[in-house]
Amino acid sequence: MNDFKNHHRTQVSLRVMQVMFATVCLIVLGRVFYLQVIEYEKYSMQGERNSIRQEIIPSARGLIYDRKGELLVSNEPIFTLTVNPATYDTTNNQLLAELLDVDISQVSDQINIAQRYSWYRSSPLLSDIDFTQFSIIQQNLWQLPGIGHQVKSKRTYSDKINASHIFGYLREADAKDFETNTSLFLGDKIGKSGLELIYEDRLRGESGIEFKRVNAYGQALGSFMVENEGTNPIEGANIITSIDADLQAFAEDLMTDKTGAIIVMNPNTGAILAMVSSPNYQVDRLAGRLDRAYWAQINSDSTRPLFNRAVSSRQPPGSTFKPLMGLIGLEEGLITPTTNIPNTGGYQRGRLYRDIAPKGDYDLEKAITYSSNTYFYKLMDDFASSGRLNIWSERVKDFGLGVDLEIDLPSATTGIIPDSAFLDRWFGINKWGLGDLINLGIGQGVMSVSPLQIATMTSAISNGGYRITPYLVEQLETPYLTIFPNKKDPSKIDWVQKEHLDLVKNGMRGVVQRGNGRFYVKNDFLAIAGKTGTAQNPHGYSHGWFTSFAPFDYPEIVVTVFLENAGFASISAAPIARLLHEYYLLGTYSNNVYNYVKNWEPRDDNSNQTAE
Amino acid sequence: MASIQKDLDWMSVLLWVGLSIIGLIAVYSATQGPVSEFLPRFIQNNFWKQLLFVGFSLGLLFYIQFINPTIFKNFSYLAYTASLLLMICTLFFGQEINGAKSWLRFGGFGLQSSEFMKITTILAAANFLTSRRNIGLEQIRYALVSFLIIFVPTLLVIAQNDFGTAIIFMALIPVILFWSGLPYGVALLIISPAIILYLSVFSWIYGLIAMVAITAGVFLLQRSKWLTIVSVIMGSATVVVVQLALTKILQPHQVARVIAFTNPSYDPTGAGWNVIQAKTAIGSGGWTGKGFLEGTQTQLRFLPEQWTDFIFCVVGEEFGFLGASILILVFMLFLLRLLQLSINHKNPFAQLVTLSIAAVYFVHFFINVGSATALLPVIGIPLPFISYGGSAFIANTLMLAICLNMDLYKRELSIYS
Repeated sequence: MNDFKNHHRTQVSLRVMQVMFATVCLIVLGRVFYLQVIEYEKYSMQGERNSIRQEIIPSARGLIYDRKGELLVSNEPIFTLTVNPATYDTTNNQLLAELLDVDISQVSDQINIAQRYSWYRSSPLLSDIDFTQFSIIQQNLWQLPGIGHQVKSKRTYSDKINASHIFGYLREADAKDFETNTSLFLGDKIGKSGLELIYEDRLRGESGIEFKRVNAYGQALGSFMVENEGTNPIEGANIITSIDADLQAFAEDLMTDKTGAIIVMNPNTGAILAMVSSPNYQVDRLAGRLDRAYWAQINSDSTRPLFNRAVSSRQPPGSTFKPLMGLIGLEEGLITPTTNIPNTGGYQRGRLYRDIAPKGDYDLEKAITYSSNTYFYKLMDDFASSGRLNIWSERVKDFGLGVDLEIDLPSATTGIIPDSAFLDRWFGINKWGLGDLINLGIGQGVMSVSPLQIATMTSAISNGGYRITPYLVEQLETPYLTIFPNKKDPSKIDWVQKEHLDLVKNGMRGVVQRGNGRFYVKNDFLAIAGKTGTAQNPHGYSHGWFTSFAPFDYPEIVVTVFLENAGFASISAAPIARLLHEYYLLGTYSNNVYNYVKNWEPRDDNSNQTAE
Repeated sequence: MASIQKDLDWMSVLLWVGLSIIGLIAVYSATQGPVSEFLPRFIQNNFWKQLLFVGFSLGLLFYIQFINPTIFKNFSYLAYTASLLLMICTLFFGQEINGAKSWLRFGGFGLQSSEFMKITTILAAANFLTSRRNIGLEQIRYALVSFLIIFVPTLLVIAQNDFGTAIIFMALIPVILFWSGLPYGVALLIISPAIILYLSVFSWIYGLIAMVAITAGVFLLQRSKWLTIVSVIMGSATVVVVQLALTKILQPHQVARVIAFTNPSYDPTGAGWNVIQAKTAIGSGGWTGKGFLEGTQTQLRFLPEQWTDFIFCVVGEEFGFLGASILILVFMLFLLRLLQLSINHKNPFAQLVTLSIAAVYFVHFFINVGSATALLPVIGIPLPFISYGGSAFIANTLMLAICLNMDLYKRELSIYS
């Protein structure tokens, strides 16, 4: 009975068990159906994402050449370690830091950045590591899942010239850059100044994309089932600059240990042959992995080595403005070539405006040659008194002062050439008067210009009255086409008359032959014309200007030199300009002048003197 | 005398062959795929070794059919004792693989003693229970002894750090308890903590609901005040202990592992990685799969242990719902067939052994596939006849062979009962 009851119970239980097993199997089947059929979309996408890695193939950044085809800036390969946050184990930070011989905080900081940027994408961990370290990491890769590498490139520069202000530096794109440019990837370097900034889009080219199958350890698996939908990178355009590397090197040599700027320009085209801003910085030290100490140093340096004085410095033009002043005066009929204005030691109008040029009668040519202030005080007085301030201002701007020159460099200043509206803003309406204007006649007072503007003005005087647009890039060469980006044809300044121009140019020639240029610029073999100037500096020695062109009859170059705290331009800036003229036009230079320039020290001077 | 040709349960054999072939295909894909050169050398050999095991097991399966069925009962205690000794040997001389010290190495082959312990434990427990006449008065004492027969090897397996296999042994406990004649209600009460514990991991509310439901069941089946009170106390205690463990006792990384089970995206690279990769592999298979050797999850090794614990994902990814459902249905038919063999027996020993073996297969299947499909937390145990593993394959086939042998001679066996 007991057995039977047990037997029955067993039979029932086994049937129940069969039902139970079948039910569980069907539940499992249902679960599989749910995953494979209902949620298929979700998991198939996830499966793809899992195994396909998008890899960026960086494009080669465009090279930079000088006007004669000499290579100035190129690229060299550097090894960059990458990290894939999805597979990287952060407990390896210590090991990684030890292998790389860096601080652990640097590793963990960079990994945090990579994690925030993308959990699945490989991001740079440490760029520009040397080959030994790279090898050590490769040997230990088995215990560092998620670590990979990329061969990237960094800029490498010709040893011959510095030209840091022309080229500009690259830095890794920051959060703001990613917002404005979606084709950037973490770790990409972009131009932050100079030509690298202005021509960033052209130089960078376009990165290619490659899809790779990888296994769970991030090892790329060659061609296993790769749907090849990638794109090839497009190389960046090469830049042929207007720079003459030899001349640039010479100009940099002359500016060593001096503060200021040099512009050497072709007055007929606007091509900049050399541009120096001193002090400069070592652009190659900003090329690879960021040298934080050096970066901090050049940023905090009181001499502001990052500042491009050649295009950004704003200074009163001083007496270099006088030839243009004369031109406008002739055009407006306020003076004639023969108008005589005596210098009795100053110009008396409400107060005495001093003039240290030799006393005597001055016509325009002589006034330029000997830099008589009285002549131009009087002329400015006439402009102001006849209510022609705004006409004067317009005419000055026609020569490139006080306007944007549209050079292909960032942060070029427009300078200040005042008109009545400006002065209303500057001083307040009816708060300014003749006393604020007379100084403008000798390039002082409420006006400021950059060295580039003075060079542009000098070009227009020397080339027969054509306003040129200065530029640094002759052409951009892509694999498919050549582009001439910033070259504009010179445009005739319509009101300029040749006879007036010749008179003024003769005055400038006289500066070199008889005026204060005679000390260091006068020579028998090269007809240089020029004008000195002093920008008064309330903080110390005056800044000296010398702007010039040569040969006198058919000018080929304009040289503008601006030296800060140099005192007399005739003995500081002028000899530098002379050497550059000689070097470019004759291929040689006067050794004695060169030695003088190299050994030159700023001298004490009377900063009130404005006869230059 | 029974004739092998006529009386052998060929259906079971056929289903076994089907499962073995599915297994060989999956192991081939997991270890011989197009990018298998990235796998360690010894794993690349797994398919060929498995082929050897299958061939050997096939011979074994038929060889066993010539053995006198009484031998299983008569030698059960001896075999049980011998395998216990083997287990203890393993503890001392065993080789550690993946953290579990469960392999004894003989030359080129490793022997996983716990796989054979499963067989002898079933035989010994069944022998003990079915040798007692007039079961009824001393149920509790018998239940306790048979519990110990299972529990001692369970402890040894836990000592080997093989938690997955220990669960298989523990799954035998309710079967045996039930067979020993314990009332349904008491049996339900005994297995209730496991159910409540499982649900409490998701949420203490589920745990409490399960406790109430089980208590109601116990009350309806037994009408016993004391059992009902015990059920309430035990159930509530389980819920409280799980809550305390999760919030106070367990280390953060252990809690993470438990939470990852309920929410795999909680930590995609840590504990939840396997779950996500397994679900992705299966889910991306779709209706018909990506094709043999073309599963990206499988071939690119996003699945760990894909030739053993995650073998189901290989099938699911490369052969899709079609392949996965064939596997599940074949396995289901196989289990139901074994239970049918058990029903057909008049000999209690043969019946209990067959039933227990079916239960072992079932628990293996449910935990393995349940882990891969995220129905259960990831517990590493192989899928019988599918996963790579020599000891497991041979032991599982041996269990089937015993079932088939006792079925083949069931008329002769019934005489002895």
